[in-house]
Amino acid sequence: MAAITLKNIIKSYDKTQVVKGIDLAIEDGEFVVLVGPSGCGKSTTLRMIAGLEQPTSGDIIIGDRVVNDIEPQNRNIAMVFQNYALYPHKSVKENIVFALRRLKVDNDEIERRLSEISEMLQLEELLDRKPADLSGGQRQRVAMGRAIIREADVFLFDEPLSNLDSKLRSHMRTEIGKIHNKFGRTSVYVTHDQVEAMTLADKVVVLHDGYIAQYGTPMEIYLNPTNIFVAQFIGSPSMNIIEGTLFNDYLDIDGHHLPREKLSNVAYQETISDSGLKVKVGIRPDFFNDKAFFSETDLTFNFNNVVIDLIEPMGFDKEVLFNLAGGSVKARLDLRSDITLGVKIDLLVDLSRVLIFDPETEQRL
Amino acid sequence: MTPLERAEAKFGWKLVAPTILILGLLILYPLMYNVYLSFFDVQLNGYKTFVGLENYIKLLTNTDYYSAIGTTSLYLLGTVVGTTLLGLAMALLLKDPFKGRGLVNAAIMLPYVAPVISVVFGWQFLFDPISGVVNYLFVDVLGIWSERTNLIGNPDSALWVVVLFDIWKHAPIAYLLILSKLVSVSRDQYEAAAIDGYGPIGRFFHVTLPELYFVLATVVLLRLIWNLNRFEDVYLLAPNVQTLPIFTYYQAFTGVIDQGLAAATSVIQLAVLSVFIWFYIKKIMKW
Amino acid sequence: MLGKRTLTGRIGFALAILLLVSFSLLPFAQILSTSLKHQYDWGNPSLIPQTINLDAYKELLGLTEAKKVEIPAAIQKILNNPKLPKDKKEAIAAKYTSNENLFPFGKYMLNSVIFSVGAATFSLIFSVMGAYSISRLRFKGQVVIQRSVLFVYMVGGVLLMVPLYQMAMNIGLASSLWGSAFCLFLIYIVQTLPVGMYMLGNYFRGIPFALEEAAMMDGCSRKEAIIKVVLPLSLPMLATVFIYCFIIGWNEYLFASVFLKQYPEFHTLPLALQELFVSKNAIWDRIMAASMLTLAPIVICFLFASRFMKGGKTDGGVKG
Repeated sequence: MAAITLKNIIKSYDKTQVVKGIDLAIEDGEFVVLVGPSGCGKSTTLRMIAGLEQPTSGDIIIGDRVVNDIEPQNRNIAMVFQNYALYPHKSVKENIVFALRRLKVDNDEIERRLSEISEMLQLEELLDRKPADLSGGQRQRVAMGRAIIREADVFLFDEPLSNLDSKLRSHMRTEIGKIHNKFGRTSVYVTHDQVEAMTLADKVVVLHDGYIAQYGTPMEIYLNPTNIFVAQFIGSPSMNIIEGTLFNDYLDIDGHHLPREKLSNVAYQETISDSGLKVKVGIRPDFFNDKAFFSETDLTFNFNNVVIDLIEPMGFDKEVLFNLAGGSVKARLDLRSDITLGVKIDLLVDLSRVLIFDPETEQRL
Repeated sequence: MTPLERAEAKFGWKLVAPTILILGLLILYPLMYNVYLSFFDVQLNGYKTFVGLENYIKLLTNTDYYSAIGTTSLYLLGTVVGTTLLGLAMALLLKDPFKGRGLVNAAIMLPYVAPVISVVFGWQFLFDPISGVVNYLFVDVLGIWSERTNLIGNPDSALWVVVLFDIWKHAPIAYLLILSKLVSVSRDQYEAAAIDGYGPIGRFFHVTLPELYFVLATVVLLRLIWNLNRFEDVYLLAPNVQTLPIFTYYQAFTGVIDQGLAAATSVIQLAVLSVFIWFYIKKIMKW
Repeated sequence: MLGKRTLTGRIGFALAILLLVSFSLLPFAQILSTSLKHQYDWGNPSLIPQTINLDAYKELLGLTEAKKVEIPAAIQKILNNPKLPKDKKEAIAAKYTSNENLFPFGKYMLNSVIFSVGAATFSLIFSVMGAYSISRLRFKGQVVIQRSVLFVYMVGGVLLMVPLYQMAMNIGLASSLWGSAFCLFLIYIVQTLPVGMYMLGNYFRGIPFALEEAAMMDGCSRKEAIIKVVLPLSLPMLATVFIYCFIIGWNEYLFASVFLKQYPEFHTLPLALQELFVSKNAIWDRIMAASMLTLAPIVICFLFASRFMKGGKTDGGVKG
């Protein structure tokens, strides 16, 4: 069992920097998800922890060892690869126990662990097959088994579910969660899928362009993103960013005046000149409600008479688009709202969920 | 560089070291040594005297050298065109699966894998003036020639026998290269062209040929590179056909031995070859 | 559907295939046929022998009894001449009696096997190492090495015959039997190593990197990952490369003639066959039978290798 610390990690290939200085402290037993768009440096970071890539500068500490100069095989790490990387010439069983055989673990112990793990992952029937004869989901489970059986200090997952179809993916996601709860090993999980990040993580690291954009629990990141990038990356559909002007008493959005003292999630308290302060306003589609089914309180604001331009029924939800401040804004309403195109409705928004950002730096205000 | 990267680099060098040593010692060094030798009068027993450019002057004033260049050019022209066309024909013919394709494939690959030495005598027998089937066919059956001739005995006609032999032996490799490209041309393209109203011939010129352009260039270049150095196939079948490699061999090891002159011939040939190889590596390989 | 087949189309297709196969196989058929014919049958254009004659094969494979050769009467008379010195008599007698093993085919075959299998083995070992290094490991100079390998791969043997011979001469190897054999052995390694490296390099590139990384995660060192994961996965390709190198050595004539011509006991098959052909003992059936026997191992190897060559059959196909 081990904590992982990254100290000012930089990685460049030739002249391009891929990872531009990452500091991260992962506690023992934590499940941390690195999430971000492709090219943000998340996989590289994971591979540096594994030892498959070497940082250009900075230190990686696992447990109480600086592991920079320790070869991957000596870091006591298990890893699940994106394409599973099962040994095609070995049976499922040999794939799983390969590491133990190498360590000369005695046979009874190998059999004990194998039967425990194959039962847990429902692999008993498959042990004699070759990877080529398995379905994608089965291969995924074998890859998991191979990683778990090691009882390594740290588990690494490199986009392990990205090759599965959506149904299997959500199933395996649950399985991974269960396994983590059972073994409680320090785990680092890389994905571009924010749903995986939200559901699995104790802590989420949002990476953007080689930097950490935000580090926190899934709820912190969802409710209190520190910048527009994180705000829009996490959550689906993503957060609406609307032009607005902040005055001393209210926030103006396209003529709607939201009372400033009720915006409880806005920390910005400076006095503003009379011409106001241009800001970007962030409101998640989830925080709009149809006034027909929700009561107005002094903590809500009513955008009255908005005209619906587009309706996307999703089953339980329907997503509707309307125009505000020259941009298209999305709201997620539930199935009770019986709307047709062009109709005018009143939408309530929870004032404590309204965020504002600096239009230049895109940081939270 | 981190210590792990340094270890990887060190391991890399360790693994290629024997290869570098062997190839350096037995190919790169000899190529340079060859240039050195070309400025000497070299005896078979290793005795050398410096003669400056004399070998080159001797070579460039030697009519036999120019006739060898002529023969080589004809040989290259004949084999490159023949091999490429036959390879293309074979690929087009055998592109679609049919019953027994595996066997046909094995049969046409056989000339390519067979040792030269084990087939040249068969070829000599085919062209034998007394017992050979070629003379029988052209003189007795078809009556095209008036009398039996020794085609291999006469250097002029032997050249074309040697060309035919090379086509026979190396068309399979052109076939494989072309086929691997041909099967990768998507069916959609043919169907689109068919819908646009092209018949089989139109489809060949508008779909197949443009797709094959690159691989055909590869085949031509590879044939040039390999055939410029071709020795056994020519020498063993018809030692009287003096292409450059055979010319060099005679200079170096038979009759009036002049290894310095042979070295000079090789140097010039290497220069030409290097141009082809450079072109190949630069334009075709993505190594 | 495209290319629907009409009857004439089908017939044309069958004819074209027939023509192609005949063209490819005719020389082989001729060799086989002549090797089985009696001398009176040679001029007969039919490929089917009137009667099967296996003498040539028997002789080459050493299956015939050592014949007692009759010394012609005229020669016998000379030998009986008391004036002739004894050593001359013996020399003359030897000329007529030592006919029994005219062409020690088995020995030449063994020589060929030793040279080609030996060189192919070394070549395979070095190419595995080299190909792994240039295709998998990151170090400076890698690209230069790759390009150089490709370059030397395409530089043919003819350009090297003079300098290699002179080098061997300079260090005194070319003047002894074992020295020459050693040189030839090295040369066969050099002739096959770039091909092997080229083929294996391409193959290794196709093996997902993640497999080795997985092995390292499972606690293997780089070396163990190569031995336990990469090599077992490459077995078919290793066999193909080995066979390919073997064929190159088996077929080689030029350097064998340069280095071994004066050492008949070390002749390889190509050299021996050529010598046989230009010698007085050239008899078509024997030459053809020897050709067939030289061909046989290659055909067997080819059939074996072609099973494996499905995937990357053009990889090796560049050479030739």
